[in-house]
Amino acid sequence: MTFAVQDSNGFAVVQLCGEIDLRNSPEARKLILTSLKKQKHVMVDLSAVEYIDSSGVASLVEGFQYARANDLEFGLLGVSEAAMNVLRLARLDQVFPIYDSLDDRLSHGG
Amino acid sequence: MEEAIAVDEVRPADLPAPPKDAIRLIQACSRPDLDARDLGRIVANDPVLTAELLRVANSAYFGLVSQVRSVARAVTVLGSRALRNLVLCIAMRDALRRDSIPGFDLDLYWEDALRRAVSAKALAGIVGLDPDECFTAGLLQDFGLLVLLYIHPDQVPQWQRLAGLDPEQRLELEADLFHATHDEVGYLLASHWDLPADLAVAMGFHHAEIPDDISPDDALLCKVTTCADWMAAAYGSEDKRQVIQRCRSLLEAHFDIAADTADRLLQQVSLDVQEAASVLGIRVGEQLGFEELMREANLRLAQDNLSYQELTWRLEKALAERDRFAARLRRELELAREVQRSLLPGEAEQLPGVVGLNVSAREVSGDFYDFFPLPDGRIAFCLADVSGKGMNAALLMAKTASLFRCLGRGVHDPAKLLSMLNREIAETSIRGMFVTMVAGVSDPHTGEVVLANAGHLPALHMGCAAVVAEYGAQSPPLGISPEAGFSNEAFNLDGGCLYLYTDGLLEAPVEGGGRLEQAGLLRLLHEYAHLPPAERVRSVADAARAADGTVEDDLTLVVVEGNERHGMC
Repeated sequence: MTFAVQDSNGFAVVQLCGEIDLRNSPEARKLILTSLKKQKHVMVDLSAVEYIDSSGVASLVEGFQYARANDLEFGLLGVSEAAMNVLRLARLDQVFPIYDSLDDRLSHGG
Repeated sequence: MEEAIAVDEVRPADLPAPPKDAIRLIQACSRPDLDARDLGRIVANDPVLTAELLRVANSAYFGLVSQVRSVARAVTVLGSRALRNLVLCIAMRDALRRDSIPGFDLDLYWEDALRRAVSAKALAGIVGLDPDECFTAGLLQDFGLLVLLYIHPDQVPQWQRLAGLDPEQRLELEADLFHATHDEVGYLLASHWDLPADLAVAMGFHHAEIPDDISPDDALLCKVTTCADWMAAAYGSEDKRQVIQRCRSLLEAHFDIAADTADRLLQQVSLDVQEAASVLGIRVGEQLGFEELMREANLRLAQDNLSYQELTWRLEKALAERDRFAARLRRELELAREVQRSLLPGEAEQLPGVVGLNVSAREVSGDFYDFFPLPDGRIAFCLADVSGKGMNAALLMAKTASLFRCLGRGVHDPAKLLSMLNREIAETSIRGMFVTMVAGVSDPHTGEVVLANAGHLPALHMGCAAVVAEYGAQSPPLGISPEAGFSNEAFNLDGGCLYLYTDGLLEAPVEGGGRLEQAGLLRLLHEYAHLPPAERVRSVADAARAADGTVEDDLTLVVVEGNERHGMC
């Protein structure tokens, strides 16, 4: 599986999908970090994620920490129910800025 | 046929002009209706050429049965064809003046050409062609290279390189240096100078595919020159072993010549070069004998074998190194595991009211639990799971465990303790690693518990028969956000017990497929409720192991009880 990155309205949107686990979380991590090195605003779209394990969550956490350390924006878009359950269980929904969609993020402002 | 050869970089105007005397001879030689007496007359007009021709014709190498003293006699004895070939050799040898290529000793080229000539002549008998004809073709087949050097005298210093290559490599280097190759240019020159058609074909096609529209004899001559090229290269090239092998396979493919005959032919070459050179008045250096040739080739073989042996030796050394490294790594991991074990409460530290168990899936683990008594008689306890696997997780586990023991002795408020741990871990967090943790303080006398949950699975408060309450995370895991807030939950065990566990337990595979999940865990806890706590956690953990006793993921389970647990539930 390969994940995609789309540029839209000054945002890089990393599209993750399917099951995010030890096998593909390194790729997710790399995409998130390279996007953050190129773009000031990076969103990770989790709408098509069916499962995410702690290594996948760690990739998101790393993106979040990198963004905070470098004064960049990092958030999640359209988090699927499966992913949201994991995030909510660990109270990570309190940590990540979460939006329904990129439009939702744009109407909220930075 | 001319269109078949593209010579983009060399125009006819670039070619050397043939000397007038020579060209008359050459053109006369090319006439199909050549009359030996006409040729004899032309030769006789040139006293130098006459002397030269008689010397060559009388040599043993060109094998006249009887000595001739006049051109007329030579014409009679040799016949027009042989005369033509001798005249051509002499005329072409002198076609370029000695100083026509600045800085280049033409004899270097002719020595190389002679090896091809004697090779071709050695083959003639076997393939049924005229020996002198083959000799001439061999002598002239690479004449194009001389022309290329004439056009590009700046490349003269490259001669040594060219001479040391095998015929194929040489062609490639020519293409690089001159943007043309000697066969293309040779063919162009042959047609420009009106060389006989059979020689032109041999000059133009000893590297290329032989055209369909030439006579069988001309095609055979092409093959002879191809083989002669490689035979000569056995003596001239650097990598003799490879070239000799190629010679043998070419001779077998083209003429069905066996390897021992091929070697004999090669031997002939070394014997003939000196003689042919002295007949043709070409200065050649010391020639490599066949024995020396084979010795050099075998030396090369030995060198190759030697490097193979060295390769094997290096590989063995690398493998041994790897094994040593792996053994050391294993020892290090065992040590790491020992250190980790030391961070968990030991047998001697058993406390009434708290029991824990950790089963790790690999040498080092990312799970841990701990408990210790506080001065006021209460017990501080925790259970944690570090994200990720392997050594980095193990090291973060060690750090977190140390911080918990160190700070937990002074800070008895779980939320405050987690907040301090969080800041410490967040400060040095790398690669998004984090720790989920439940930390608490219990009073075994009163059954009062205070706990805080940082991103971990819910703590289960079990009554006699059912779950009384679940205490899920109120805060994110440790190490993500330094400013995260933490809060406590306080409750009374009321004779029940509190279970803390890691996801390795819930995700343990069960017989018949699927995972244990929380429902399975509750079933096990219920099933073993009658056992004392230490046996209970062991039984639950055993049920989560595979048949061979291993686990897929680290699993950890802690039970906290009050002194007054409900009787036998």
